[in-house]
Amino acid sequence: MSGIPCANQSVSPLEELAGILDCHWKNIEDARKSTRKALQGISEIIENTPRDTSIVVHGSLARYECTQGSDLDWTLLVDGVADPAVQNEFIATRKKLSGNSRIKDLGLKDPGREKTFGTLSFSQPMIHYIGGEEDTNANTTRRILLLLEAQPIGDQSGVVKRGVFNQVRMGILRRYLDEDRGLLKLDLEGKRRWVPLFLLNDFARYWRTMAVDFAYKQFDRGNQGYALRSIKLGTSRKLLFASGLLACFWCDPVISKNPCQEVSKQSLMSNLADFLELTPLERVALFYTKHIGATNSEFLKKNANELFGAYDEFLGKLNEKEWRDRLENLQLPKTEEVQEDEVFKQARIMRKEFSQAILDMFVNQDSPLRKHSIEKGIF
Amino acid sequence: MALMGFSTGALCLGDFARALCLMRKTSMKAVELSALRLPELPALIEELRKLDLNQFKYISFHAPSRFSAEEEGHVVELLQRVPKSWPIIVHPDAIHDPKKWIVFGRQIAIENMDRRKSTGRSAEELRHWFELFPDARLCLDLAHTHQCDRTMTEAYRILKKFSKKICQLHISELDSAGHHFPLSLGTISAFLEIKSLIPTDTPAIIESINPFADAEDREQVAWIERELQRASTALGRVPQFQAASISPAAIEIEPAHALA
Repeated sequence: MSGIPCANQSVSPLEELAGILDCHWKNIEDARKSTRKALQGISEIIENTPRDTSIVVHGSLARYECTQGSDLDWTLLVDGVADPAVQNEFIATRKKLSGNSRIKDLGLKDPGREKTFGTLSFSQPMIHYIGGEEDTNANTTRRILLLLEAQPIGDQSGVVKRGVFNQVRMGILRRYLDEDRGLLKLDLEGKRRWVPLFLLNDFARYWRTMAVDFAYKQFDRGNQGYALRSIKLGTSRKLLFASGLLACFWCDPVISKNPCQEVSKQSLMSNLADFLELTPLERVALFYTKHIGATNSEFLKKNANELFGAYDEFLGKLNEKEWRDRLENLQLPKTEEVQEDEVFKQARIMRKEFSQAILDMFVNQDSPLRKHSIEKGIF
Repeated sequence: MALMGFSTGALCLGDFARALCLMRKTSMKAVELSALRLPELPALIEELRKLDLNQFKYISFHAPSRFSAEEEGHVVELLQRVPKSWPIIVHPDAIHDPKKWIVFGRQIAIENMDRRKSTGRSAEELRHWFELFPDARLCLDLAHTHQCDRTMTEAYRILKKFSKKICQLHISELDSAGHHFPLSLGTISAFLEIKSLIPTDTPAIIESINPFADAEDREQVAWIERELQRASTALGRVPQFQAASISPAAIEIEPAHALA
């Protein structure tokens, strides 16, 4: 880490931004507190982290956005010598984390039904199969989430075993940069691209996969849970993609405002890895703090206020059991009827406000990201 | 010119006299006297003044990598008999009571650790040790950094933060179980990526385990020279081959050799 503060440390870009804007996002703050408590509780349940593994959480826990009814999406990430005994370690870990009453006491639910989580995951496919026939939906999901939405967790020893997690993350990032041949070279105009397009394209692919899977789940589950998934797709999932897109643009020192950025893969990897250590909200907050600090832009202040305000409202609603249950159970046969529901209607207004703020952040005339978004993000 | 040499423990496990005998038949100008296992320490300390080390322009001493808290005081006592100009390489995870080691000042060189250890692996973890020992220097073990992070990004971070502290390199390749073995082409290529960040005058000590330990001296010497050549290549340094027994021109890095 190069000193960028993150969610599990005392000072975060979120707090810094709240200070600059003189705002208080209570629901975001509450969710962060709940997450710290939940992660602490989980680590007390795990006796030890098996050798050559990291126990990794994804989803809202990794985003530090834990609310009532959050899933405990976890994987046992393995990066070591092939050893059948790892299955026993996995079963022992699963026994602790899935269906455990202490986990339920923490207000967490078991992983979702797609079986992407609550499983073993191995480093080799994630690093080796990027694109091509072997890169399954589950493999892409695990890989991208390991970059964008993942936290290794500790055990009873009180130590977070980050080794395997960091190593696999670095291996994945390296693949994206190694095969991006023109990344650090000067182009015909004597300019450096900086933005890793291979990585950006895979983030974009994953975002589109999430959107397509949304329709698939709608078909597969007969609209069950449609309303809540729809709201999440336009808020937390969109934020995830936006923070990934931002991570790619962050490689350009013009965007990161990093005078120490060197023209070397290691320097780029180091800065990119540091940025990805942050939660999605923190990545976005860091962008605003850097640019508002440099330009005092009124547009950025307003835009940040709208974006974080809408997201704060979303987290607040998500933490209301009644609101959440209502949207989760809203399963009417006709789409028109679903949209008539007042709670869903309000939720869609909130989602629209957030979406607009994200759109402005990337493509508004006054956004520092506009040029990158158009030139690199679209075509 | 940067100095390169071997660890006595890598050449002849537990037999420093035999290792030095082999080294005398080579061109190397640097050596690390290894007492990696605790029982080796008293004998090596006892023999220090009698050893013929005239060939070497750089000498370091590797402290034991494991001892109990009860044994620590005696270990420190013995290590104080090592000449002050020789860096003492210490594994941070071996230290029980940091206060006992303050006495060495800048003579101790903290070595970055491999992935089996729980501390001293990354720039961040090393920072803790340099806060405890502000005068200590760094023995950068390239094999350990490579094992912890194949992309060498962590090595980059360590070099960016602590390059002024580096007094020595360790160079070899590690398998996933933590065994040192000769450099492969993949590892050479990885080390080359960060060579520009390593101060060019840093002595390098090779820790590749001698695979010909039971063979004739001539074969062992030939392997030593080849490994020196590989290490020089990995660090982007001009090799210093003057041994009469082997012509530099005869030493080529063939994939088969590198992977041997």
